[in-house]
Amino acid sequence: MPETRELTYAEALREGLQQVMEKDDSVFLIGEDIGVYGGAFGVSAGLVEIFGEERVRDTPISEAAIAGAVLGAALTGMRPVGEIQFMDFVALSMEQLVLQAAKVRFMFGGKAKAPFVLRMPAGSGTGAAAQHSESLESWFVHVPGLKVVMPSNPYDAKGLLLASIYDDNPVIFIEHKLLYRTKAHVPEEMYEVPLSSTAVTRQGTDLTLIATAVMVQRALEAAEQLSSEGIDVEIIDPRTLLPLDDQPIFESVKKTGRALIVHEAVGTGGFGGEIAARIAGSEAFDYLDAPIRRLTGLDIPIPYNRTLEYHTVPQVENIVEEARNIVRGSY
Amino acid sequence: MAKPVIMPRFGMTQEEATIVEWLVNEGDHVDPDDPIAEVTTDKVNMEVPAPAAGYLGGIRYQVGDTVPVTRVIAYILAEGEAPPPVEEDAPPVVEAAAAEPKISPEATIAGVSASPVAKRMADAQGIPLNAGRGSGTDGRITRADVENFLTSTSAVVPDPGGSVRATPAARRVARERQLDLSRISGSGPHGRIQEIDALNFQAVAGIASQVYAVAGEPVLVPLEGIRKTIAERMQASAQQAPHITFSLDVDMSRVISFRQSINAGLPVNQTKVSMTAIIVRLTAWALRRHPFMNAYMRDDGILLLPNVNVGVAVALDNGLIVPVVRDADRKGLYQIATEIEDISQRARTEQLLPDDVADGSFTISNLGMFGIDQFTAIINPPQIGILAVGRTIDRFVPDDEGQPLLKAMMTITLSADHRAVDGAQAGSFIADLRAALEEPASIML
Repeated sequence: MPETRELTYAEALREGLQQVMEKDDSVFLIGEDIGVYGGAFGVSAGLVEIFGEERVRDTPISEAAIAGAVLGAALTGMRPVGEIQFMDFVALSMEQLVLQAAKVRFMFGGKAKAPFVLRMPAGSGTGAAAQHSESLESWFVHVPGLKVVMPSNPYDAKGLLLASIYDDNPVIFIEHKLLYRTKAHVPEEMYEVPLSSTAVTRQGTDLTLIATAVMVQRALEAAEQLSSEGIDVEIIDPRTLLPLDDQPIFESVKKTGRALIVHEAVGTGGFGGEIAARIAGSEAFDYLDAPIRRLTGLDIPIPYNRTLEYHTVPQVENIVEEARNIVRGSY
Repeated sequence: MAKPVIMPRFGMTQEEATIVEWLVNEGDHVDPDDPIAEVTTDKVNMEVPAPAAGYLGGIRYQVGDTVPVTRVIAYILAEGEAPPPVEEDAPPVVEAAAAEPKISPEATIAGVSASPVAKRMADAQGIPLNAGRGSGTDGRITRADVENFLTSTSAVVPDPGGSVRATPAARRVARERQLDLSRISGSGPHGRIQEIDALNFQAVAGIASQVYAVAGEPVLVPLEGIRKTIAERMQASAQQAPHITFSLDVDMSRVISFRQSINAGLPVNQTKVSMTAIIVRLTAWALRRHPFMNAYMRDDGILLLPNVNVGVAVALDNGLIVPVVRDADRKGLYQIATEIEDISQRARTEQLLPDDVADGSFTISNLGMFGIDQFTAIINPPQIGILAVGRTIDRFVPDDEGQPLLKAMMTITLSADHRAVDGAQAGSFIADLRAALEEPASIML
């Protein structure tokens, strides 16, 4: 039995970074305030003391430079891990990520590769208003050549991070801010959670609830409440959005006949639409006994007011109500 | 008198047509509208119909000849009649009305113009789309033309399942078990058929539709057991009890919303309150107010019964059986629903106890699930009344201002034994029942 301790999501990421940097000189960190300050959410706290400023590099406030630097370093054989302080500002990196990083392996006929990871905290719930609270994963899901990873718990955070670092493609690694302090048992040794491996987080028979990031935790809470009403929810966590391992979703929907997709990002053009379309087009279609439903963030910028912010994205009670409505045949 | 057959004009701009084939030989008998020749324009192939009954004669043109429209091409003759002499340059006969655009499945012509959806529909229905002009631009055959064709021919019936609201899962079950979706009543929103409805229907239909494979020799099903009992009792009832029947339509909107709201609060695995359970409960309430309907007809008089025990007719593969909900006027809906479900289940698996079917004071027979609108039931003696319940379906009914209002309506028919009750008594019973069904909360008053 491997050694496990309770670690927070942030600690699990830090442990993974430290272990891989000890083992592999090609891995280095680069980002804004990640050195002495330890990163805006403390993920890299203490690492500059261990590895020095050469391998834990602070940058000016330029997301384009960070993205360009990790891409350039990756092309020359390094495995860099960049950090965008808030996912919102990845907008400034898009040229490097979308036009260059995602294409380079294809345009050089496979002779070049860009094995970097770009970590970025996302999501609302911190009172940080419209420019520091977004969930923009579907921008990247739309770009072939990138991989998009969204861990929902400390165990997956460490395992998926290590798998991402050793993947030869550029990986957009999205961490939800509200998860950083959540705790779970995490093995001390290095391990990888394979990319594109969708997890069945909870078994159930009445409803397939597909959730990402912090919504997985809320779905678990909702499922407990619903079980007291006799509604047995199965929770699916894709973990990697691109490329998506969709077969477990289909298998689950074939079992339950009902599907609810929950994500924090706004609904219009959101990843939930992709999942819904895949279900509708799959062999699971013939098993659907209710319309596929989505529960998502509202189509508005995240408000600063905490009460409005709370009601902008799905909460446990919203999930409970929507699941109940689907299972009880309101749609 | 010889009837001329003229080259028809199929389109406004058409000047001539070419004969492709004579479909009838000279001297053969034809009936009106029988196709006698196939002709082609630059666009389509069409058939020339016989203008009258008679014998084809005097064919003027051969296959391959191009003939101006309205020119006589042949005659329909009476028996033994000779065709009129050929007059060179005979003036065209008075122009007949442009032939009705029709899509004929027979003709074979290339170059037909049809919209993509019309083509797809025609392919799906196996209609060769090579005939006639459509109603669209330049004679293009449109979706409406194909639909008209489909509805005008009995040979091709569109899949009725297509217009039924059902979930994909329900459709899969129906497909796998060869159920007719249009016969299943749905429990989902707006009557949508859910998977559970199809599965339950299977349980009912498996009984009702058990068919004897009769091939060759006739099969005699002996009149024995439950079948014999039913035969004797129903015959006795029909002969001895003078039936009077009363039908009325009930607005079920309140019952439906009431049922939805009480079922919404139930755990998923608990038996839901059925329409039948609600009807049983409300009927029991009405029976309590009308003791002559809750009674037995005997030789020595009318026995008014102290308990309201409502029987519910359940179909079996060899007949039907009537489980009884005892003291239905004193039970809650959950209990009634659970009892009916339990007894019905045991009836279908032949595990009924004698008590389950004894002492009924009134009977309800519901055939709504089979799509029956209205029917009349025969009284189950010695009871005095039986209620026949049809399906609930949306119908337009006038509101107070005479405007049509879509309402969920159900027709109920009471049969009563006229020896025991008169029209006024039975009528006021069923009127009370309607009032209760239309406003379920009123029974608490």
